[in-house]
Amino acid sequence: MLEAFLFVGLPYAAVIICVAGSIYRFKTDPYSYSALSSQFLESKKLRWGSVPWHLGIGVVFIGHLGAFLLPGPWRAVLTQPHFLYAVEMAGLASALFCALGLLILIIRRLTTANLQPVTTLMDLVVLFLLFVQVILGIMTAVNYRWGAQWATQTTTPYLWSLLLFRPDPSFIAGMPLLVKAHLAGAWLIVLAVPFSRLVHMFSLPLEYLFRPPQKVVWNAPPTHGALKQTADKEMTRRLFLKGAIGLIGGGVLLGVGVLEELYLFFRGPRLSKEEEGHLLDVTQKKLKKNADEKALELERLRDESIFVAKLSDLSPTKGKYFIDYQMKPALAFLGADGLPQLLSAKCTHLGCTVGSEVNAQGRLLCPCHVSFFDIRNGVPDAGSPAKDPLPKIGWILVNDRGETVLGRGPNGELQGTPRDHPKETLSVHIAKKYEGWTA
Amino acid sequence: MDVRAQVSMVFHLDKCIGCHTCSVACKNVWTDRAGAEYMWWNNVETKPGTGYPSRWEDQNNYQGGWEVTDGRELKLKSQNKASAFFKMLFNPPQPTMKDYYEPWSYKYDDLFSSPLGDDQPTAVPISQITGEPIDIKSGPNWDDDLSGSPVHAENDVNLDELSEEERNALFEVERISMMYLPRICNHCANPSCVASCPSGALYKRGEDGIVLVNQDKCRGWRACVTACPYKKVYYNWKTGKSEKCILCYPRLETGQAPACFHSCVGRIRYLGVLLYDAERVTEAMKAPAQSLVEAQRSALLDPNDPEVQAAARANGVSEEFLHAAIHSPVYKYVMEWKLALPLHVEFRTMPMLFYVPPLLPVMGKNDASLYEPTGEGFFTALENARMPIKFLSKLFSAGNESVVEASLRKLMAVRYYMRSLEINDVDSVKIRQVMHEAGLTEEEAKAIHALTAIPTVDDRFVLPPIQRERAIEPTCSPEVCKGCTGFGEKEPPHRGA
Repeated sequence: MLEAFLFVGLPYAAVIICVAGSIYRFKTDPYSYSALSSQFLESKKLRWGSVPWHLGIGVVFIGHLGAFLLPGPWRAVLTQPHFLYAVEMAGLASALFCALGLLILIIRRLTTANLQPVTTLMDLVVLFLLFVQVILGIMTAVNYRWGAQWATQTTTPYLWSLLLFRPDPSFIAGMPLLVKAHLAGAWLIVLAVPFSRLVHMFSLPLEYLFRPPQKVVWNAPPTHGALKQTADKEMTRRLFLKGAIGLIGGGVLLGVGVLEELYLFFRGPRLSKEEEGHLLDVTQKKLKKNADEKALELERLRDESIFVAKLSDLSPTKGKYFIDYQMKPALAFLGADGLPQLLSAKCTHLGCTVGSEVNAQGRLLCPCHVSFFDIRNGVPDAGSPAKDPLPKIGWILVNDRGETVLGRGPNGELQGTPRDHPKETLSVHIAKKYEGWTA
Repeated sequence: MDVRAQVSMVFHLDKCIGCHTCSVACKNVWTDRAGAEYMWWNNVETKPGTGYPSRWEDQNNYQGGWEVTDGRELKLKSQNKASAFFKMLFNPPQPTMKDYYEPWSYKYDDLFSSPLGDDQPTAVPISQITGEPIDIKSGPNWDDDLSGSPVHAENDVNLDELSEEERNALFEVERISMMYLPRICNHCANPSCVASCPSGALYKRGEDGIVLVNQDKCRGWRACVTACPYKKVYYNWKTGKSEKCILCYPRLETGQAPACFHSCVGRIRYLGVLLYDAERVTEAMKAPAQSLVEAQRSALLDPNDPEVQAAARANGVSEEFLHAAIHSPVYKYVMEWKLALPLHVEFRTMPMLFYVPPLLPVMGKNDASLYEPTGEGFFTALENARMPIKFLSKLFSAGNESVVEASLRKLMAVRYYMRSLEINDVDSVKIRQVMHEAGLTEEEAKAIHALTAIPTVDDRFVLPPIQRERAIEPTCSPEVCKGCTGFGEKEPPHRGA
């Protein structure tokens, strides 16, 4: 239960709150988006805290992202022991950088008098969360080596299962407590983003790389002349850039997906002979079952009549289900005249199967949207969601010698004379000749 | 020709008495808030002196402004596009509180609430950052009037290239001299703060050239604080946003002069429109240091030129703006008379605030315990000026002494001429000679005198109608628009979580 919360509920809640919260905060209070630098008040320690922390977390983040986005290539590359060593070393070194930076930042926050007026509780919570998370990460890396490799088969499929809305925490169910704590910590940090200064990471101003040095803003945009052209050009450029970035981003994502599929097709996991055989076996069984069902159906359709029930088994209050010529459910009752009464059981509202019990008012109930149908003629009660009556179905009575003694035709007329046959010897059938009528 | 209008300024330093009224007016209107206590969008410095923040002119340390690369390109001294991202983490040349000063107030309440005792209660100074009592070490004008001080004046960056002799002469007791240098944001035509802002929060207003910080877009990366060579963008430690002089645009938009202009006791400040060619700005600012003043003038346009007027109209400059440009006192000082010079034009930001250099008091000499003006007449020859021309040229013409000299000669000639008119005790040959050397006509001398000594408020401030309300009304409520106009605290200053 706790695991389901930590690794399915919490991640979704955290990501939704992070995205929605950050957007809401940006829309309603853009003024609060700031890196909130305190270099003005304290500079020396900040240098040794901020720089290692940000650079370290950058490298670590790229490593985590690589294992998540491209697990296939990532794993393939890491099968080379040299690369694996290099990646593990770089990751661990960066994490140590992070921890060192954070430690300096925490000490700086707590001990510098000038910083107290600009330190909020949330600043401390965030620093603490990040520090714990980095330490958990380092402990994982030290205790369970080659995480760069094993993560691609455990946490990566887990994350993808979340991303594809097929959450499957079983990928990480057997993981050590340390790793689980590191994962849960990550979700907590994501959760904290919109409520803390962490939102500044969404402010990474990549636009700066592309913009011209000077920026002019007009209170009233120029309506004519060279300036209008400049302004228009600027606007076009901006729109183009935005569109291009969107297209490229979309293309990259699509490309990643396609490449992943291609890669898996050529280099992905292969089935063993045994597994392949088993798979074929299952497929064959399934196909055979389908074929049998179809054969039965065909046989039924070939018969002139299909047995429904013995007349003596029918009851006026409890219907007997059967399948009609269209392979739809239907119900058979004993009518008030002692003759069979056959109705389609497919509700005329949305196609549910109508219940077989007749209530005290002589009504059938469709349980889906509570439509009541009169058992005598199939007409729905006023106010029921269903508006059309249940179609009546024709029938024939066959005696024990196989002769048709009586039938109710397409227009409801009786065919044959209702003679006094012993009830026990008669059975109710539906007949092909009435098929049109039942439709 | 891409004609733009700029509301620009002239400060006449001969008239500045260093009273700091401008600073106080600005402080009371704009920076009397948490996080902004240390900011002086307008400050007055004593020169020679170290200024505020300390030694701000030393760009080897602070890395402000532009430099010309070998490839003849203008580039920011503080960062390039890539290093800008690393400098978000930590910006080494960014001045810290120590470079400005720690703002303080006093525990005034103690004066009233102290228990009865033998001693007079005192109001001890308390830090406006921590609220704790502090030992005041420096303030925003700590070197005020201390022109001979070995701690302050001698460390003036502009003295670095003066010879030992010149330095000694400057600090000699009898000829010691100083001048005041009031400073606000220059609202540059080639602003390095705008170019440095990673978030694109800083911008220049198209209609009037005022440089502003969009408070909603600013993310506190602090690149502008470093990039501004005049250190006129300030970081608000409380809100995590940068702020700067806004040239009192809410006042300008309602037809009033900015608070510092309006309150100026010496009436040293002039405000008017200049037209400039935006296409020529970058090229002009690539000129060799010696010719930068001339290069800047070449980018400024004559509002009386019909061709310029036509181009301005084509660019959407309104008739009212053109009218203001034609009657601009700034144009007269900067272009017609060439008296006013930009401050530290070698920072290559093309500052649009110009200074008329001070002529300084007449030279005195202590002779037999009698202190009297030296020399043959009442006026000293420029060569014997108290303030070395070299020093003034470091401030106002990137070291080109002839530019400062030309300006000072004209100022001197006006004095000669006016003295001849009012008192008539100067030899007319001498006057003609001085006027000739300065290249000044009698009409010009009269006009300069009129605008310098006896101008009315309408002569000093020729404000164009900006009518911004007309521009924004159709699209959004002015109250909502406040946040996107560069200075807009719609709420009490707070620090985002």
